[in-house]
Amino acid sequence: MSSTHCFTEFSKQSPKGILVIYGNLLYKLLKGTWFLLFLFIKDFSKITEETLGYIYLGIAVVLLLFLFRAFLLYKNFQFKIAEGHFVLKQGIFKKTDTSVSLDRIQNINFKQNIIQQLIQVYEVSIETAGSVKTEIAIKALSYERAQELKSQILLTSPSFEDDSEMLEEKPLLKISVLELLKVSLTENHFKSLLLFLAILIGLYQQVKDLIKSLGKTADFDSYFGEGAAVIYGSLVLITIFLLLLIVIGVLGSFVRVFLFHFNLTVFVKDQAFEINQGLTTKKSILLKKEKVQSITISTNPIKEKLGISYVVFKQAISGKVVKKKYKAIKIVGCKAAQVAKIKELLFDTEKLEAAEKHHVDGYYKTRMYFRSSIVLFLFNLILYISFEELTLFFWNILLIPVFGLLIHLSFKKTFYKFSRDLLLLGSGSLGTHYSYLPFFKVQNIEMKQNIFQEKRNIVDLVFQTAAGKIKIPCINKDKAVEIYNYTLYKVENSTAPWM
Amino acid sequence: MFKNQQIEQLPAIEELTFKGIQKAYLKVIFIHLLLFFLVAFAGLFLLIRYKLQEDVLAYESYLYLGVLSVFFFVLLILIVGFSKRKYALREKDISYKSGIFLKKITTVPFSRIQHVEVDERPVSRIFKLASISVFTAGDSSDDLEIKGIKKTEALQIKEFISQQINE
Repeated sequence: MSSTHCFTEFSKQSPKGILVIYGNLLYKLLKGTWFLLFLFIKDFSKITEETLGYIYLGIAVVLLLFLFRAFLLYKNFQFKIAEGHFVLKQGIFKKTDTSVSLDRIQNINFKQNIIQQLIQVYEVSIETAGSVKTEIAIKALSYERAQELKSQILLTSPSFEDDSEMLEEKPLLKISVLELLKVSLTENHFKSLLLFLAILIGLYQQVKDLIKSLGKTADFDSYFGEGAAVIYGSLVLITIFLLLLIVIGVLGSFVRVFLFHFNLTVFVKDQAFEINQGLTTKKSILLKKEKVQSITISTNPIKEKLGISYVVFKQAISGKVVKKKYKAIKIVGCKAAQVAKIKELLFDTEKLEAAEKHHVDGYYKTRMYFRSSIVLFLFNLILYISFEELTLFFWNILLIPVFGLLIHLSFKKTFYKFSRDLLLLGSGSLGTHYSYLPFFKVQNIEMKQNIFQEKRNIVDLVFQTAAGKIKIPCINKDKAVEIYNYTLYKVENSTAPWM
Repeated sequence: MFKNQQIEQLPAIEELTFKGIQKAYLKVIFIHLLLFFLVAFAGLFLLIRYKLQEDVLAYESYLYLGVLSVFFFVLLILIVGFSKRKYALREKDISYKSGIFLKKITTVPFSRIQHVEVDERPVSRIFKLASISVFTAGDSSDDLEIKGIKKTEALQIKEFISQQINE
């Protein structure tokens, strides 16, 4: 690739960047003030002509000011590569100079949100090892510039190989719209529904708070109360309501899957996966092999029939005190051959397949029965306190077998296997999950035993990794101690970097 | 087939001799608990005095008795649990165990430690005690903290671990 642009001098983003920055600023403004807008629309008729004029003028001034701010932000955002460092200058009043040594740059990712897609620029984010604050994002670069910047950084960085020819390779995985439809249909719609309800409740609270501050709580509550009473009264309405929930659940799954996984392609290069996906925000992630802490391969009965499963990579993020320290990267619609290829690239699973499968102690089932009876009890208690309607307790007839079935499945699906380097944990209830964890990635290990477990000489074993924990429940203590010692031995003798 | 050979050579956690924490720390626990319950009692007193209705006042003594019995119950658990708090240091890792009803043992290999911290809290300082915490890249709530060891020892352990990490 011939370099037409040199980054040794300070350069700015593409001028289109003003639009991107402006869009971001407006989005933030809207997020902070949407309820004012809501009020404005609600009381539109009551506002006099004169005040309306002032309000429009005010909005226009604010919009102009933000445009000016966006322009200044753009003007003051400069970067260059010099003396083995990536240097970034930014800020209007508070000037910030950031300088990152090139060999500490770990990853360069491209991203496109909807504005960036429309005006065809890419956001380039630079991930570094070490300090938290050195996450650098350049909001708008043309594709060529972005590629050039990437290759120039990577060329000088010893930890990277040139990857310019990578895009011509055949992708490991490419998901068409049809396949994505299949994936959406077979998602856990119940989960989608819960997510939707959570968003709805959040919104409801926000609106309620707003109305409360205006002193109209009573109206609002009675409005919802009446609605609830009507629904409660009629069987037809309940059926419609349930059907509606199902439709929302299914739709939710479609939205979720298409939003995150649209146009999913996975390329394999020497030591990394390149994953591209997303509808409104396109993401391109370079996932390096050694940063993967563990992977989980999941499927459910229907997906299994169609021969697809999804893979979640759990990746450690550099930086010490970030709140959420790891990110999980999910890819969907993998066929068996692709799953096998991914496993093969990351770990040596051959010996693992032949290893003996160990199931967990029967106490695990007892414990789940115990815990779910507490949940059921609380559920009934709440029902009893909030409604004095005895028919509601018929829900138990439905719930108890469902709980029983889930526990039975969960017990049957929980197992573990291990080879010299790798631990495999099976879990799941309706779905089936297989988690793979190389022993040397473990950060610390814990063994837990309550008094009931003590009688049966069993323990829970918890592996803590840089990307969440993995737990083997209720296994024989002697076995657990063996694994405990072996894990420590592997960790303490490994010289390979865990990240 | 590999593991029979390998396991035999492995250093075994169950054969490790664990060391109890300093006896003086029991006093620290007692003082902490006392302070907590004094506040609770004061709160209860004020509540009874100014807020509660007449009919509840009849049960005043029961309320105090209730809180008092909770105090003794917690104290008992802490005293019994105290003797279970033990730690051990090896060449390449540090372990801590505790718990009566839920026994726990955690081991952190030095090679995964990101940093070590020695804390002296106000009450502990009176007895020249300190706590040592190690942090890994895992979830910090599940890393290891040993409370109630001598300050000099805590500093020694910290020094030892730092040396091991840098090697």
